Amino acid sequence: METLNHKEVINLLLQLAAMLIMARIFAEIARKLKQPAVVGEIIAGIIMGPTILGYLAPDFQMGLFHSHEMTNIALDGVVQISVVLLLFIAGIEVELHVVWSQGKNALKIALTSMALPIIAGFVVAYAFPEFLGVNINDRAVASTFFGLAISITALAVVARVLMDLNLFKTKTGLLIIASAMVVDVVGWIIFSVILSLSENGSEGLGVWPTIGLTLLFTVFMLTLGKGLINRVLPWTNKQLAWPGGLLSLSLAICFLAASFTEFIGIHAIFGAFIIGVAIGDSEHATEKAKEILHQFINNIFAPIFFVSIGLKVNFIEAFDPGVVGVVVIVGFLTKFFGAYLGGIMAGVKRNKAMVVGFGMSTRGSMDIILGLIALENGMVSESLFIGIVILALISSIMAGPLMGWAEKLKI
Amino acid sequence: MYRKIALAIAFSPRMEALILEVQNLVNLFQSELILIHVGVKTDELETKLDDILTRLGVDKTKTKVLWKEKGKPSKKIVEACKEENVDLLVSGALKEEGFLKYYLGSVGRKIIRKAPCSVLTLIDPKKETTKFSKVVINGTQLEITPDVIRHGVEFSKAVSSKNVSILNEIKLYGLLMGTASEDTEGEVSETRKKLVQDEIAYVEENLKGLDLGGLKIHIKVTGGRWATELARFCEKIEADLLIVGDDRSLTFLDRLFPHDLEDLLSTLPCNLLIYKK
Repeated sequence: METLNHKEVINLLLQLAAMLIMARIFAEIARKLKQPAVVGEIIAGIIMGPTILGYLAPDFQMGLFHSHEMTNIALDGVVQISVVLLLFIAGIEVELHVVWSQGKNALKIALTSMALPIIAGFVVAYAFPEFLGVNINDRAVASTFFGLAISITALAVVARVLMDLNLFKTKTGLLIIASAMVVDVVGWIIFSVILSLSENGSEGLGVWPTIGLTLLFTVFMLTLGKGLINRVLPWTNKQLAWPGGLLSLSLAICFLAASFTEFIGIHAIFGAFIIGVAIGDSEHATEKAKEILHQFINNIFAPIFFVSIGLKVNFIEAFDPGVVGVVVIVGFLTKFFGAYLGGIMAGVKRNKAMVVGFGMSTRGSMDIILGLIALENGMVSESLFIGIVILALISSIMAGPLMGWAEKLKI
Repeated sequence: MYRKIALAIAFSPRMEALILEVQNLVNLFQSELILIHVGVKTDELETKLDDILTRLGVDKTKTKVLWKEKGKPSKKIVEACKEENVDLLVSGALKEEGFLKYYLGSVGRKIIRKAPCSVLTLIDPKKETTKFSKVVINGTQLEITPDVIRHGVEFSKAVSSKNVSILNEIKLYGLLMGTASEDTEGEVSETRKKLVQDEIAYVEENLKGLDLGGLKIHIKVTGGRWATELARFCEKIEADLLIVGDDRSLTFLDRLFPHDLEDLLSTLPCNLLIYKK
């Protein structure tokens, strides 16, 4: 087995240390400015990457991040695990009984808030592929991918904003949370189907077997798989060390599911997400265990992933104001109006429907992962990916003030 | 509180115990008793029922017997409740052979889902009648909860409960505390404290203005899914009655993707009173 040599090990450890320190510094600055940590972590990555550090101190940046090929492969492995874990925790956050308690209203908001951006994103990208930087050879799939990326809501970000605004436990707050959960589930199912249709996605089994297996896996995990988890978890909680047993076994199951979905030709993250939903919805997954998982993934692996984005892309060289402008305007307006319309359809008052609209517009997690997958699969250009990241930053920063403003409106 | 209390009878071995349980409630609440039988009305059955009622000392002047001859039992029972404007329907749970576990049969579940009135499910009806000493009320923040608390307090007073607990749950505690981990240690513990205090304040607010009539009420806060937590808590304190609310009729889909109430119906940790508006 080939291993890293002495220098490569040092390099890898320095990379991880630098990424975590910078992420922490900028997350703290973001916190002081009452912004989500993810905003700080993305900015930390942009500063450490080719955009700023690579420009100001190219040798140093090169030495830290590009001097050993093997180290970079190892770092990529850590980033891959981080993304898988991020999706796992995103799945854990989805609690189907909360969705169920909100009934059709959550479904209306989720679906309208997704439909509008997906349609608008698809139309814009399909009509102007060269301008936006969408792969012309895989135009339909890439355009849908773009639409989907701008249709996602960041559940963890909106949960934090709602908490800060003291709205979490209100009717509107729970409606937003439940709708964001539906968006996550629907979004990842659409994602897996699109990925299997793309040129690069279905390398293994072919399109239809992949779609069939994906749907089978999803239905199985959310019914029989969940039942099995419900039987195993009480035993784990009683017989094994706590929370050690639960943590290591749930992560092991997460990696197993992730490897299965990677094997059938869709991305590993889909398996991690679905298994997260199945575990998170189990009545035996205690809230304390979820809290521990949250803390350990959100504070170690999430920063590594969000910083790594900035290391991959030069945000100045590939910056295209036209593309960014279109992505931000189309992304923000369609998501807001889609969710607002859903709110009105659900019988929510106008100002509350605006709160729903702004709440559902928060981004900064799954949308970036989707964008990155599209970038890595050659479906979108760096400029378009930058647009998606900037949309995430702007919508996350603006969500709190806009929701607070709409809440006070007397309409 | 309950003007009309109904009981569906099927001439089963537990029928007499159920009639005595209901008779006890009828006396406590000064109600009228409605007995519903789904099946063919024969002279033999009529005489048999009359004998039983006489033997058990049921006041026949305040009792009405409805014979529903054709149709699905659950549908007919619900129909009878609607016709008679019943306020409380009492039913018995089934016992798993050889275990101290109780469950609801498909008819029982259907009745609970569709009944237009509150439903009391007794897991082990006794001839000497059940004492509701330890009562647990669901205090989780739902639209119907203020009514459930009010109703629960009234019921507990009427049955002279010794110990009433109102259990409230912090919704999505894991997610909330997970996102709070962006804060300092002091802020995190403040958030934790606030989450608990908010839930206590919610219950206290709903108890304000209610005549507690000397009831001892304990407010408990937990994190997790309310149905699961309620079931665990009831088992832990060996509660006699759990009172929850339901403001929507359940469908087949609720069994496929169970929500909290459906979870409780499959767990059935103790006697269960489902309050409906």
